[in-house]
Amino acid sequence: MIENYFIHLLIMIGIYIILTLSLNLALGYTGLINLAHIALFGIGAYTSTLLTNANVPFLLAFIIAGLFTSLFGYFLVFTTNKLKGDYLAMATLGFSFVVFSLMLNLTEITRGPLGIPGIKKPEFFGFIIESNYAYLIFVAIICILSILIITKIIKSPFGRLLQATRDDELGLRILGKNTFSLKCKALMISAFFAGIAGSLFAHYITFIDPTSFALNELILVLTLVIVGGIASIKGSIIAPFIIIFLTESLRFLPLPSSFVGPLREIIYALALLLILYFKPRGIFGKVDIA
Amino acid sequence: MVFMQLFVNSLIIGSIYALVAAGFSLIYTTNKFLHIAHGVSIALGGYLLFLFFNLLGLPFAGACIIAIVLTSLIGLAMYQFVYLPLQKKKASTIILLIASLAILILVQNLIQLFFGANVKSIDYLKVREGISVFGAIITPLQIIIVLIALTLFVLLYLFMKKTTLGKNMRAVSDNKELASIIGIDYKKVAGASFLLGSMLAAVAGILIGMEQNIEPVMGTQLIIKGFTASIIGGIGSVAGVIPGAYILGFAENFGIWYLPSGYKDAIAFGLLFLFLLFRPQGLFGLKKGVKQ
Amino acid sequence: MIEIKNITKKFGGITALDNISFKIEKEKITAIIGPNGSGKSTLFHVISHLIEADRGEILLDGHEIQYLPDYWIASLGISRTFQEVRLFKNLTIAEHIEIAISKNDQSLFKSLFKKEISNNQYDNNNNNQNNNGSNNSKKIKEIIAFVGLEKPLNTIVTELSYGQRKLLDLAVAIAKPHQLLMLDEPVAGVNPALREKIKQVIRELQKKGETIIIIEHDMNFVMDLADYIFVMDYGELIAEGLPKEIQNNKKVLDAYLGN
Repeated sequence: MIENYFIHLLIMIGIYIILTLSLNLALGYTGLINLAHIALFGIGAYTSTLLTNANVPFLLAFIIAGLFTSLFGYFLVFTTNKLKGDYLAMATLGFSFVVFSLMLNLTEITRGPLGIPGIKKPEFFGFIIESNYAYLIFVAIICILSILIITKIIKSPFGRLLQATRDDELGLRILGKNTFSLKCKALMISAFFAGIAGSLFAHYITFIDPTSFALNELILVLTLVIVGGIASIKGSIIAPFIIIFLTESLRFLPLPSSFVGPLREIIYALALLLILYFKPRGIFGKVDIA
Repeated sequence: MVFMQLFVNSLIIGSIYALVAAGFSLIYTTNKFLHIAHGVSIALGGYLLFLFFNLLGLPFAGACIIAIVLTSLIGLAMYQFVYLPLQKKKASTIILLIASLAILILVQNLIQLFFGANVKSIDYLKVREGISVFGAIITPLQIIIVLIALTLFVLLYLFMKKTTLGKNMRAVSDNKELASIIGIDYKKVAGASFLLGSMLAAVAGILIGMEQNIEPVMGTQLIIKGFTASIIGGIGSVAGVIPGAYILGFAENFGIWYLPSGYKDAIAFGLLFLFLLFRPQGLFGLKKGVKQ
Repeated sequence: MIEIKNITKKFGGITALDNISFKIEKEKITAIIGPNGSGKSTLFHVISHLIEADRGEILLDGHEIQYLPDYWIASLGISRTFQEVRLFKNLTIAEHIEIAISKNDQSLFKSLFKKEISNNQYDNNNNNQNNNGSNNSKKIKEIIAFVGLEKPLNTIVTELSYGQRKLLDLAVAIAKPHQLLMLDEPVAGVNPALREKIKQVIRELQKKGETIIIIEHDMNFVMDLADYIFVMDYGELIAEGLPKEIQNNKKVLDAYLGN
């Protein structure tokens, strides 16, 4: 019983590591205040679900979910390219709301507020990932691969350009680099990983509905990125462990179950406020947010 | 007649959006950052009224006044205890925005904790028969909404133009350094903008609470609409956002003449994107602060 | 090699550039001087296409470039500095030069499969024996030595003094492959020793046959550096000629003394 619970936590942590690291790539390394990350997560989840429900093989659905979500990454940069940071943030927030609204209203596709139950477990090469333990291994593999890929990107010359974009976009353009293209690529990569994280989420919980992708969830990921550290790979890996273990312990307090949800959000929000005041670069971060 | 009904509905919701946008824009022009937590003030207006009127049984007018005053003070407190300390630490506007988001979520969940997640009704003035105006039905409450909004806008205008505090606010929003050189106390002006802006939001929250209902997420939804209205009107101009809000109201209501009603929000946010793309300074605004 | 033709730029009621036309010759140092606000920096911004002129053309080796995107113009070989130092505050000295000289870093694919240069190589205590990307690291050391920046290559910008940042700024512009170098007030706010140092660097560049345009509002700095001088005032070209001629030009003196 306890073991199952731990496995559950680790799976969620794995998914959140992918979400946090990919958001850090956009926010911390490239300076794009993308508040639509959870909407992208949701797009990935719904895409993967709908595809597998249409009998598309899991691995294909998984990859397509990532690729389809990355298109929205392009869309976001394209539409907000000329906007200053704050406006970019609000525009991406607005985008999140459109996505949320569409999830609720495109009922023929998404079943609206009822959500989609009975999502298939991943199946490939003849294996079906049935048990939670098997799913943990699956998530761990994807998580480690994601960390390796994103780290490689960040440490490459390309990654260096992303950081330069964050620090002085105009200065970088004057050196002959096409920063629009750089930002597009950065957000597309970030969105891709948000999308596959969404797929992992959907096929684990086997039920998704719009509320999983509402503003509340954004606060958690934002808090994870900032607390862990702006532009810190280490921080984005460690923060999910700390914060999720801490807030999960709430479960063991004698509180009515309807309290736990809001209380958790309150803790995330407070943690965010505290870190913004005391250490806005985060625990392991060495850089300011844009 | 459908057209008239849509017209009337647009005026009503436009008035609510305008109240939200005016306060939001006032705070933005004075402080130069996006106070998303303005949504909190909207929700608190509605919920505090519910607390004092529905739960504690105070007379309606009294409950309204207490709700508005408390919300305004909480708005000021957000400035005093969150934004000002951060500004003292040279926080960028991005950090202020994220802090604002955190406050929004914090209070939204506090409300959910104390009052529960269900939708609640205020039940005052609501179930009265509407009168017929040019083929559209409008209830007394709805007429009151429009009238209160328009009155407040006139008062706001007079305040900004005629009072010293209003003029100081405009001076600070034009040029903060210059204003402090001529002796204007920036913190007082900033605080006042939060008081005043939150007051307008509280009224909006009360009115929408009475007209529809209250729920913990109402602030978040309305602030995005308020922001959209500000962008359409031109966020640098407190006066400009008001027509922007009515335009939003019209676009939403006439939009769902063709589209299923669930798409109302999508229309609003779609407009937001269009304006941010093609005319970020809004219809009436100046080109300050949006483009790089 | 670069020709400005009839460039006009108005901002609201102010005419920043008024029908400016002139040619810049190759392999010479050309200075553009004039009182503050005469439009010199605006001219640079128009050439870089950071600002769009209302009218007129900019020709680089005979081709019109005024409609090209700013980064494209830069990649065609125009390197420049700004009045204010523009650096990437979280990156190291070495990273700055690497960005300036890298041709393939924008390609994600090429970037991932090329060997990375780690910052450990630039630690002064670590003699660089690693030959991966060694061409780059040699070049970086050369350029940094050329401008006289004496700091370990893995120093982050935030740890540099103003003077050191000015040198790095210059180094980045020089490092970036270019046929034209535009320097906007290269010695603004700089102490006399550094001033001399920068003057030396520019002289060295001249010896190498570089084409340089310098904006300065300090006449003395440019007098013994420039081969040719253009003088601007209120957005207009009021005089041009050799330094000796400009020194004695009454119109120029009037402009500076504010008649």
